[in-house]
Amino acid sequence: MSLPDSLFHNDVCSITARFLPDGGRVAILNLAMAGRVNRINAAFGQGFSAALGFLLGDDKGVGRLEGLRGIIVATGHKDFCVGADLDWLLTARDPSDVMAMVQGLHALFRRLETAGVPVVAALTGSALGGGYELALACHHRIALDDARVQLGLPEVNLGVIPGAGGTQRLPRRIGVQPALEILAQGQVLRAPKALARGLVDQLAPSVEALMEQAVAWILAHPGCKQPWDGDGFKWPGGHPDGELGRNVFMAGAAMIFARTAGAFPAPEAVLTVVQEGGRLDFDAALQVEARAFTRLAVSDQAKDMIRTFFFHKNAADKHEGLPALPAGQDAGIRTVAVLGAGMMGGGLAFVAASAGYDVVLRDIRPEALDAAMARARQQADKRLKHLSAGERQAVLDRIRPTLSAQDLAGADLVIEAVVENLAVKHKVIAEVEPLLAPGAIFASNTSALPISSLAQASAAPQRFVGLHYFSPVEQMPLVEIIAGRDTDDPTLARCLDFARRTKKTPIVVADGYGFYTTRVFSAYILEGAQLVAEGRDPRLVEWGARQAGMVVGPLQVFDEVTLSLGSHVLQDARREIGEMIDIPGTRLVAAMVDAGRLGKAHGAGFYDYKDGRRAGTWPGIGALVEGLGLPRATPDPDPVAEARLLGRRLLLAQCAEVARRMDQGVLLRHRDAEVGAIFGIGFAPNTGGPLALMDRVGLPELVAELDAMAAAWGPRFAPAPVLRRMAERGERFFPA
Amino acid sequence: MPDAYLFDAVRTPRGRGKSSGSLYPVRPIDLLAGALSALQARTGIPTDQVDDVIAGCVTQAGEQGACIARFAALQAGWHFDAPGVTLNRFCGSGLEAVNSAAAWVMSGMHDLVVAGGVESMSRVKMGSDGGAIWDMRTQFSVGSVPQGISADLIATWRGFSRQDVDAFAVESQRRAGAALARGAFDRSLVPVRDEAGLVVLDRDELPRPDTTAEKLGALPASFETMGRQFKLDELTRARYPQVERVTHVHTAGNSSGIVDGAAALLVGSKEKGLALGLRPRARIRAMAVCGEEPVIMLTGPMPATRRALSRAGMTVGDIDLFEVNEAFAVVPMAWMQDLGVEHDRVNVNGGAIALGHPLGATGAMLLCTVLDELEARDLSTGLVTLCIGGGMGIATIIERV
Repeated sequence: MSLPDSLFHNDVCSITARFLPDGGRVAILNLAMAGRVNRINAAFGQGFSAALGFLLGDDKGVGRLEGLRGIIVATGHKDFCVGADLDWLLTARDPSDVMAMVQGLHALFRRLETAGVPVVAALTGSALGGGYELALACHHRIALDDARVQLGLPEVNLGVIPGAGGTQRLPRRIGVQPALEILAQGQVLRAPKALARGLVDQLAPSVEALMEQAVAWILAHPGCKQPWDGDGFKWPGGHPDGELGRNVFMAGAAMIFARTAGAFPAPEAVLTVVQEGGRLDFDAALQVEARAFTRLAVSDQAKDMIRTFFFHKNAADKHEGLPALPAGQDAGIRTVAVLGAGMMGGGLAFVAASAGYDVVLRDIRPEALDAAMARARQQADKRLKHLSAGERQAVLDRIRPTLSAQDLAGADLVIEAVVENLAVKHKVIAEVEPLLAPGAIFASNTSALPISSLAQASAAPQRFVGLHYFSPVEQMPLVEIIAGRDTDDPTLARCLDFARRTKKTPIVVADGYGFYTTRVFSAYILEGAQLVAEGRDPRLVEWGARQAGMVVGPLQVFDEVTLSLGSHVLQDARREIGEMIDIPGTRLVAAMVDAGRLGKAHGAGFYDYKDGRRAGTWPGIGALVEGLGLPRATPDPDPVAEARLLGRRLLLAQCAEVARRMDQGVLLRHRDAEVGAIFGIGFAPNTGGPLALMDRVGLPELVAELDAMAAAWGPRFAPAPVLRRMAERGERFFPA
Repeated sequence: MPDAYLFDAVRTPRGRGKSSGSLYPVRPIDLLAGALSALQARTGIPTDQVDDVIAGCVTQAGEQGACIARFAALQAGWHFDAPGVTLNRFCGSGLEAVNSAAAWVMSGMHDLVVAGGVESMSRVKMGSDGGAIWDMRTQFSVGSVPQGISADLIATWRGFSRQDVDAFAVESQRRAGAALARGAFDRSLVPVRDEAGLVVLDRDELPRPDTTAEKLGALPASFETMGRQFKLDELTRARYPQVERVTHVHTAGNSSGIVDGAAALLVGSKEKGLALGLRPRARIRAMAVCGEEPVIMLTGPMPATRRALSRAGMTVGDIDLFEVNEAFAVVPMAWMQDLGVEHDRVNVNGGAIALGHPLGATGAMLLCTVLDELEARDLSTGLVTLCIGGGMGIATIIERV
């Protein structure tokens, strides 16, 4: 619909004009694509191009809007522009299509920044990815002074790089090193911080003031050009080919490699295009970016990362397909009781209090309560920096530490985080449940014990549920919600509401020992121990995992969860799930425990530790393994090949377990397989998740590979029936 | 196939490669031109009969850019009939120049070639010529690390400690000091003179024969900050995942010194020598060059040595003296370990740790050194080998005639 004073409108934007006292005009190009967001796609290109044509005329300026003094690019939606249309990017496979798309955008943005009049981006809402690149193609950026306004270039988190000039404009604007920090880490900053880092040039206290500032800037900068289009352009902070630039790139390459182990090409590409483009004229520099973007955009890694990190994550956060509260009804959770004030319980208390709940934190050890409160205070200082001291205190004041069970009376949700022991948990349930408010939910934070077994001690098993959080809970984004046999949908809906308010991404799985994530996680670290037990070099086990994309090597993780815990869990697990896990690796773990090498907290595990920091894998492990007299494998004499082999085995051990969880009805949604593995247990993000990885391998090939591995290494690798079935039918988990 | 002979060999002294060094005021072209003039003066060759002048030079930028060999020959007043070519095989350049000259003679294409090298490291900074090694796209596809990290990686992998490499450095200094004291380099050494003919430098100025293991032990590891803090060590893991942590042992005291200098050798056929009345001092027996994995980078002398020996039909036992360039202490140490050669036949007059490593000239200088020493001891065969950036090695075997 055309606004009364609009000069132009189409399905992407409308244009209004501000008249200046001298009769000149400032055009306000208001982006308002159909729906709730502006995003960059083919329709955007056409509509924006038409709008620029209306303002600037043809190539020779014929038909240019009379009296045009400047352009303000603004938004009619809440956000300015949230970036590329990922539906398109998810499926675009033809490199020439992608190249044409980005070159079209480049031409469009070049037209905007060489318009001959000043162009200001009015950032009244978030500008991310391609949206922020549009802002970078303006001569000046003014953002609303509001922490909800976010700016940045998160592309590398989706396996690509900015493709609309961001890799070229940002370093030319703020300098190579500051730009690389944003680009290579995919940083998104809130408006005040964005100003400090140079991502925007000005802040404005209100939308009205922002528009006034924009007009004022336009009047003060007639005939504005981008610095890189002017004569004698000087790189802020020095030319990328200078000595300083060179050092920045070399150190940048090393730091990226230290972080990615070479498994993520996108941050590497950031470095290469900033450097290579930095040597060239601007239009050629854009071409360098376009070629690298295209290479990455059509890759499997980008598709799989986009699917999981954007589509699956969003669907999980929106609780798509999950039980919901009836419209207008609230979850009825005001007071949350947390039982057990260890790392997990204390952390949960802080998380719930931060979300506005009143929290009762109970433990029978006063020192545990003191420690939990001290830790909560540290966390408040670290994570709630955006709040005032008073607001932070208010969060802490919402946590009531207590030794008395009576103080739990009236809680609407209880989360128990006491020791992993069925009898102890049964006792706690029986003790606490009668004190609770009517209709209260009892949740267990167990990481493995079946919820239905725990619910046997509950008088209301329909309101008994598993809420499995990950440590450190203040930081880890996932909650695995386990529906026991009797758990009802309203209970799940209320727990999902709690997850939303505590800013956790949920997966919902069915009951079974170890649920989903713990089983896959165990498969990972046990396979790590198994490889060592076979006589493999622990350094290659760790590196193999990292270069396959795993966030942390299995032995390092094993040390962090402590081997003695692993060893207790193993006893439970053996009882619950039988001999599948009876592999020599578990004997090594037991021997490590006997040798006093319990893990990081004990200063000795698979690694040696010095002042609490890892100081290399334990050189004594070879002798220990030898002493066990277990069957030995023959490692590949080439360490690089060996590491690759071990990495593959560590990934596929997990994939085989994922398929079994699916086959046994624990894992209910493909989305949850990916979200749970990536956000819960650090599964290789470069793969997009275990299902995407299996798709990438190809199910028939995968089944053959798993069969071969099962023959060589044991039944834990055997492909679950679901995989065989899908392979036979030529099915995939996700569309190609 | 004709043989290639060495008729004579000269080199400048090596000046400290910084602004306090004696050769800092001397243009690189003058270093090379001086060596060419001295060679011409000693041999009396008619320069219009020189078929080519080939010089190694690594950092071919600024004053060392644009084919310094051609302009050095002209600067030396040589006939314009004598052309010039400059080459870059990194640290192997000086030896590569001699090998190329020998190959031309052996092929019959040329009869008389002057080969050598030049590097003014004080005036033209290492790395100032840019190049693909600084290019991140190359970095990510090839993977390479700064040489010092390669050297420390070799030491870590082979278990050479800081004490081991420092002890090697002390011995290099002691040998160089003794060699200087007895004039072991005098036959090749030609002073650098200014435009008025005054001597600017007439002896190697880097050695510190009095140094001790204690003094060296106090020096900071040169590549530790780069390796640890800036994480460049991590880049080795793609190829050497079994090395969890690189131990940084190399310092300014046990690595080659940064110096200025030039060298020139006269290479030709027997017939040309006879025609010009020149007496050959040695024959080129064999030459080799080879590639090596680029992250470990500095182990190329081992395969290069083996290849040269095999070409010559010789074994290490047939070689009287070896010069293995001391780019870093670990290079000759690892070479000796692999080739099974005792230190008493290797770098007998010290090496680049004490004397310095003027990148483009070193290979040619080492030939001067080994030839002089073979004559002084009346021995017959010598082998020169150098490690080379990018993962290469080069070797040359000479035999006195």
